[in-house]
Formats: sequence, structure tokens, C-alpha cells
Amino acid sequence: MPLPAFAPRAEGRVIAGVCAGIAQALDVDVTLVRLVFALLALAGGAGILLYLALWAYATWKAKWLWAALVLAAGVLLLHAVGLSERAVAGIALVAVGLAFAWRDGGKFRLDTPLSYGGLAVAAAGAVLLLGGEGGTTALLAPGAVAGALLLIAGPWLWRLALERDAERDARIRTEERSEVAARVHDSVLQTLALIQRHSSEPRRVAALARRQERELRGWLYEDRPLGDDEASLVAALSAVAADVEELHGVRVELASAGDCAIDDESGALVLAAREAMTNAAKFSGADEIDVYAEVSGDAISVFVRDRGSGFDRSAVPTDRRGLTESIERRLERAGGWAAVLTAPGEGTEVELHLPRRQA
Amino acid sequence: MKRRVVLVDDHSLFLAGVRAELGDAVEIVGEAGSVTDAVPLIKELDPDVVLLDVHLADGTGDTIINAVSPERPGVRFLALSVSDAAEDVISVIRAGARGYVTKTISGDELAAAIDRVAAGDAVFSPRLAGFVLDAFRAGEHVGGDAEVDELTPREREVLQLIARGYMYKEIAARLSISVKTVESHVSSVLRKLQLSTRHELTRWATQHRLV
Repeated sequence: MPLPAFAPRAEGRVIAGVCAGIAQALDVDVTLVRLVFALLALAGGAGILLYLALWAYATWKAKWLWAALVLAAGVLLLHAVGLSERAVAGIALVAVGLAFAWRDGGKFRLDTPLSYGGLAVAAAGAVLLLGGEGGTTALLAPGAVAGALLLIAGPWLWRLALERDAERDARIRTEERSEVAARVHDSVLQTLALIQRHSSEPRRVAALARRQERELRGWLYEDRPLGDDEASLVAALSAVAADVEELHGVRVELASAGDCAIDDESGALVLAAREAMTNAAKFSGADEIDVYAEVSGDAISVFVRDRGSGFDRSAVPTDRRGLTESIERRLERAGGWAAVLTAPGEGTEVELHLPRRQA
Repeated sequence: MKRRVVLVDDHSLFLAGVRAELGDAVEIVGEAGSVTDAVPLIKELDPDVVLLDVHLADGTGDTIINAVSPERPGVRFLALSVSDAAEDVISVIRAGARGYVTKTISGDELAAAIDRVAAGDAVFSPRLAGFVLDAFRAGEHVGGDAEVDELTPREREVLQLIARGYMYKEIAARLSISVKTVESHVSSVLRKLQLSTRHELTRWATQHRLV
């Protein structure tokens, strides 16, 4: 895991914006960061040096200046918490040595004398550190050895863990990508091929595109655009609208307020609405149909509207049973009623109304 | 006079489509594909209307509105989108957008919507109208400020007709009122949508998508 990117922020800065930058990179409160720096500043001025170091690092990307300032800050800090000069010098030597040995982001280069030199300096530092305390040496020795091993092997183990994580992420990504590819191939590419073949038939192209859009939405969002579950009124109307769009190459815009479960009566309402949409698609000449369903506490209303040719009811032959039989009678049997508002040239709106049984 | 419009959308294909559909109906003075580009562009051009995608690669539409509005209070925003969680649409409207239409809207209707928004009125898609009716359902209200938390019967009627696919002119004829009155009812609903604290607004919004 790389460290969060850090850059001084001009926004909300007091001096150079270092604290604000750190606060943003680590996602903590800036006051907390300032407090830490203030406390460190009390420790022999270590905080001030550290601040300068970070600022120098971000401003000039000067690694050596940065390292030297951090080292000086560390020395001041350790001295301030009461370690003997000898111990501080030892720790500083260990730090410098390890920095040489592990420079370039944890790559231990056996072919460079600098790495060995670093290890030697670190060892000298350890001897200096442990040698001075006399009686406590025996007690500290095993811990120091363990610590040294950890310092030497640590970066290597850390990198190993990172690589394993990266590998797993890559595998997951590959799997995801092949799943998406399969889906896209099965649906989108097929549809695009069909669209190319039917490019001279705009209605068919529109219907294909619309169906593909619906499928893709269903897959991407894993929820139905409308309707809380499969068995709800709005979901059923949505499915019916999709069928009509596909069969007749029109757009059906469905809006709704409220929803309810489907029973025999509301099922009849959905069938009647389907008939109304089909009529609008077949006879009105309009290419868009608006459907609105409203469910209130005591009734369900569905409106199917087009801006097409409209018609004169008295002129419709009596053997055309669609409107009377499939819409009006069906709803009457379910306990509701249907009304048709139309005139030649003014479009048509069919209103379907069904009282709800009190539960 | 033609309305000066800025388009903000990260799909260049779609931008080209809107440009072609709108044709000469409006003057498109600028286009941007991200929040970062859009904010300075809108401030500089000071257009009448910004057509705004709800989702952009580097943020959401409400960020743009919040960044622009204090300096350019005259710029109106119309959200135009293809698939959105109702929650996001509501937050764009609460940030100050004057309406929401879907990308499947026809060129003529879009031009009319731009005019309407430029004049300070509001525009709802049928589905958004249905959502508002649902969220402001009558008789389910507890406490709060009735002034912004309830719809009047007339506002309800107007919204219902919008949900049924009626245009403002048709609504006016149907209710025997003027188009201006229809517009003022819709604007009033928009204001309530922006100010209301009804919990249905957020609860419903998290569960649904406005397609």
C-alpha cells in the first residue's frame, strides 16, 4: 500500500500549508496535525525541523536535504525525551546505516558496496547503543537482535505481501472483465449487429436500442427502474410497456406514484392497460405513449395517453371488440370502470379506474 | 432573442446529439465535460441556461451549481440525464436546478424546457412528477411546516397531468386556467421540493431510480 499522496495545500494554510496537506492526505482533522507539530516543536525544536523537512521535500523534492532534516529532528526529539547522548548517537547511526542499506524503496542491492557500508554503520550504531548501558546489555541483546532482523527482513516481507495483494487484485479484475465481456458480447454486440442490418428501418432500430437499454439497465443497476418487486402493479405495467414497445416500435413512457401488490382485479387492470397501449401503438400513429399509474389508499388509476389521430367512437365498427370487450367489460367485471377521452385529431386518453378492496 | 446555453456532459457523442437536436432553437455558447472545466466556463460565459448532466466523471451536478450560483445568480440550471438514482436528482434540484428532464426528450420539447427554465419557471419530467406526488402523498404528513410540506389540491392536479404526459398548454386548457398559472403552480411545487423536510423525499429517493 503506497502512502497517501502528500502536497502542501494553499487552502487553509497558516505557514506553508504542510499541516493542511498532511491532514488531507491522512483524512484527519488539521487541528490534530498542528497539535502534534506544536508538541514536537517543544521537544528541542524537532517539530520545526520536521516541518521544514516536509516543506523542503514537497517544494524541491530534494531527498538528501529532507533526510538530513528528518535525522536532525529525530535526534533532537530523542534527546528531548531524555535518552543519553550515546544512545541518541547510536540510534542515529543505525537509522543512517539502514537508510543506506535499504535505499531506493527497499531494494537490497548486494552488488553495491554502499549497502554493505550501510549495514556496517548500522551495526556500529547498535554496538554503540548497547555497549554504553553496561548492566542492561544482557537484557537488551535478544531484543536488539530481533529488532535488527526485523529491520533487515521487514521491507522484503512487506514487498512480498504487497505483490501478493496486487496479484490477487489483478486476478479479480481479469475475472470481472471477462464477465463483462461475455455479457456485452451476448447482448450489446448482438444488438449492434442487428441494428446495422436493419439500419433502413428506423422503428425497428429504435425498438432494438430500447430493448437493449432496458436489459443493460437491469443488469447494471440490479434493480427495476420502477416497481418494488416482480409482483407489483408498476413492475407488471413496466413489463407490459416493454412488450408493447418491442412489438410495435413505439416509445412508452411510464410514470407512477405509489405501488401495490398484484391480485386478480389489478391483474385485469394491467391487461386492460396493455390493450389500451396496443391500440394507441397500432392506430393512433403517435410514436410515443405516456402511461401514468397512481395508487392511493382506496383506488388505482391508470392513464394511457397518446397525441395521435384520435377517433370518433360512434364511427368505430361494432365488430371491433378491442375497446369495448378487452378494456371496458374487463374492468367492469373486476369492479372498476374505464373512460375514453378522444376526438379526431386530438389524441386519445384512456383512463382505467379500479377501487381497492379494503384489506 | 435566442437563449444562450452551456452544455455540460461527459459524453461527447451525446453533446453532439443535443447540439443537432436543438439546432437553431438556442445559441449554444459553450460545452464542458467535467466539473473542473464547467465551473470557470460558466462563470466566464454567464449563459441564460446550463444543461447539466447529473453525473460527471469528476463529481456531480450539484457541485457545479453550488460553485457557480453565488457569483452568477442569474444562471439557471436544467438537469438532463439518462439514468439516475432519485436521490441524486433531488440533490441537484435542492442545489437549485429549475427542473429535470430525461435525455430521451425530443428536441422541440427540450427547447421549450430551456425557454421555460430561462424564464424562471420549472420543468418536471412525467416520472419526476410521479415521484413528487408519491413523496408528498396527502394525509400521511406528521408535523413540520405545512407551508412547504404539503401540496395544494391544484398543485396536485397539475402534477398529475404532467405525469400523464400533458404539456403545459394542454394542462391549461384542461383545467381552464392560463399557461402562466400552470407555470406558477409548478414553480411553487419546485420550491416545496427544494425546501421541504419531508422524510419521504429521502426515503423514497434512496429506493428508486428516475430513468
